[in-house]
Amino acid sequence: MKNSNWIPSLLLCALCACSSPSGDKDLVPPEIFPSGESTSPLNCQEFPRGGFLPFSYVFSDDVELGSFNLEVHNNFDHHTHSTEAGECRQDPVKQPVHPWIFNQDYAIPAGKTSYEANLRIPIPEDIDPGEYHFMIRVTDASGWQQLRSVSIRISGNEE
Amino acid sequence: MIATIVAAFMLLQVQDTTEVLGPATIYGESRRQELMHLTLGSVEVGRNYIENNFSGTLAQSLSTIPGVQARAIGSGQSKPAIRGLGFNRIAVAVDGIKHEGQQWGDDHGLEIDQFAVDRVEVIKGPGALMYGSDAIGGVLGIYTNYLPTEPFEGRVNLFGRSNNLSAGLSARLQGRSGPFYWKLHLTGSDYADYKVPTDEIEYYSYRIPLKNGTLRNTAGQERDASLILGFVGPRFRNDFKVSETWSKSGFFANAHGLEVRLSDIDYDASRRDIDLPWQSVNHLTVHNHSHFHGNGFTLDGDLAWQMNHRQERSEPVSHGYMPIPPDDKERDFLKHTLTGKLGGKIVLSEQNLLQTGVDAEFQHNRRDGWGFIIPDFETLSGGVYVTDRHTVSESLNFNGGVRYDHAYTSIHGYTDWFPTPDEAGTPVYKQRSGDIQRDFDSFTWSLGAAWSPGRWVLKANVGKSFRVPIPKELGADGVNYHIFRYEKGSPDLQPEKSYQLDAGINWMGEKLSFRVDPYLNWFPNYIYLNPGSSYYEGLQMYTYTQAQVLRTGFEAQVTYQLFRFLELEAKGEYLWARQMSGAKKGYTLPFCPPWKAVFSARYSFLEDGFVLFDVRVAGRQDQIVPPEKPTEGWYTLNLSAGKNYPLGPIVLKTGIQVENLLNRRYYDHTNYYRLIGVPEPGLNASLMLGVDF
Repeated sequence: MKNSNWIPSLLLCALCACSSPSGDKDLVPPEIFPSGESTSPLNCQEFPRGGFLPFSYVFSDDVELGSFNLEVHNNFDHHTHSTEAGECRQDPVKQPVHPWIFNQDYAIPAGKTSYEANLRIPIPEDIDPGEYHFMIRVTDASGWQQLRSVSIRISGNEE
Repeated sequence: MIATIVAAFMLLQVQDTTEVLGPATIYGESRRQELMHLTLGSVEVGRNYIENNFSGTLAQSLSTIPGVQARAIGSGQSKPAIRGLGFNRIAVAVDGIKHEGQQWGDDHGLEIDQFAVDRVEVIKGPGALMYGSDAIGGVLGIYTNYLPTEPFEGRVNLFGRSNNLSAGLSARLQGRSGPFYWKLHLTGSDYADYKVPTDEIEYYSYRIPLKNGTLRNTAGQERDASLILGFVGPRFRNDFKVSETWSKSGFFANAHGLEVRLSDIDYDASRRDIDLPWQSVNHLTVHNHSHFHGNGFTLDGDLAWQMNHRQERSEPVSHGYMPIPPDDKERDFLKHTLTGKLGGKIVLSEQNLLQTGVDAEFQHNRRDGWGFIIPDFETLSGGVYVTDRHTVSESLNFNGGVRYDHAYTSIHGYTDWFPTPDEAGTPVYKQRSGDIQRDFDSFTWSLGAAWSPGRWVLKANVGKSFRVPIPKELGADGVNYHIFRYEKGSPDLQPEKSYQLDAGINWMGEKLSFRVDPYLNWFPNYIYLNPGSSYYEGLQMYTYTQAQVLRTGFEAQVTYQLFRFLELEAKGEYLWARQMSGAKKGYTLPFCPPWKAVFSARYSFLEDGFVLFDVRVAGRQDQIVPPEKPTEGWYTLNLSAGKNYPLGPIVLKTGIQVENLLNRRYYDHTNYYRLIGVPEPGLNASLMLGVDF
């Protein structure tokens, strides 16, 4: 009985001692920040079709950024909300006829830990107006990903 | 043509499926013999162990064995892993036949009725010699073939769990008349959505409220049946088995795949309904086993057909250029597997027992549905092996063997059902997977010794194992909607190799006994799905690559009989894994389990009553790879008790288990839903009532 107690204790100590720190590997995903005054798109913002959607956000990572992707899909079915706080005005649910599909991958120059992306995305003339999601995805060089979803509205060409 | 191939490979078998062991004896001679039997680390448990540790799934019931992990997918499905390796890196064999489902999938569990199991043998190391490809990380050997001894006997079990309001009934009826016997198993269970101790889940920045802490749409059902008809003569035994398992279970509604979605479906209307998205699986097995023993030799032959049909249904939604699909059939897989084995044991001399055999397997897999993840394929593989067991004395033996395998894989190309604009903007039907034909050869070997001086049993084994790349690793090229990433196979992958050094140190005293099973494992070319930094069609690109991987760890167990009625036990496991080359050099492997320990006190009363109290502790896991998150350490308090009551000709068996007594919120690093921040179930009580007659 005397020598029985130290064995479990020893076992536990041995187990604890084995959990090593994570070393110098990159374990942190990149981040997506508003770029300040010029940040676009903002949640619930409205853009006319046939015009341009300015994109301006800042990506940062503690080691090295990878690449980013911008994607637009419709939310006519109200399938989800954005990652932003607050809900936007909602239209009745409707069927897409010719929805805007935009999906583009972009490279970030090698070696960057911070990168401000400024783009002008043309909005086609003939698409369905209504609620859309603007998805921002960014990776770092190690394969971590961050995303942000912004609700936008595309307005029709009312006179 | 298939029939010819199969006939040509009628096969064989090596392991001793006719061995009938009595109730597990924890100490003493039989325990020593069991340890001496294999030079690899192994653990054997019987039906009692599974019943006393009964959980929602077989893998979970076995996860209290050091070195065995269960990767849960909701409360009714889970995947087993041995020393952190799962999926196609362990072989699950039922009565010697490799269980073939869609084991590559993250959210696909085992299709086995845990009530039909008589015995489980866990081989914690490379088992390629006996099982070929896939046994690279270990073998879960499941046996359902104990012989009935009475003209008619049976057992009916009634069980329930509080956390997911599950209720089930299982019956085992069997009998023997002269040389003939039969066994019938029937099991059915239903469970509701399970509960977690939280009101809200946060994934990325999405907040998902949970009504009453219920994980919506995780309910399910299971129905299993099997029938065995057998003949036992003085020299010949034959058993013929037909078994069918069916299950249907929902996926957590708010993050199917890992995309957050809202839906018009009123998931909170009932805890018991199964709405979209859900999965269902049928697994049919027809298996004939024959055994013959002559003077100084035995022969075993097996022929089996498995049909695995899996469907995954979800609300049709458009994604990128994919328009809204016409129906809810996201994935459908129909896989046929034919297996044949022929094996013999020959007593060469008093000291040498030779085992030799050939086996072959043919797989035919067809897919359907609007989501593409793995291509259609056929594989044909076969192996031949010879091993020798050299017994120097009762306390010293050596085992050695070699095996050669050949595998042929034929993958059929797949083209999208919808057009995607190419770089010039022209709509094209993109080819996702090309036609691929590959041949693979592998030579494996193993050498080990077991020595038992006095109260010690010391074992050492060194061996090489392999795994043929699966069609998904070779030919995947598309969006995995379940995880929302783009997965790309590599048609040039080489067979994965593994070298492993195992040791076993056992000491069995009157009151105290302990065992330590350390191992060192080297993969020169581990196949790894690497998360990259580029995007393809809007999704992060993951590519199959091969990297050197070093793994080491141990399991340990100490048991002390403090008083005749009180037994104390501590058991634990630790694993360290590191990628030594490639894009993720320095990182660990995905789903690396943290260190874990269980401390328990078992109080026995009367003849067969017991109360067991245990504390389960796990360490923090900060060895992660993208997209995992570090997982905090945790502990839970648990209680179980059981007692049998003879009532005339029948015996009433009762068992109760209460898990997570403190209703603590914690995360299991290896749980499928961990990635979306779902904690483990809270307080849960399970009750089992059995009648033996």
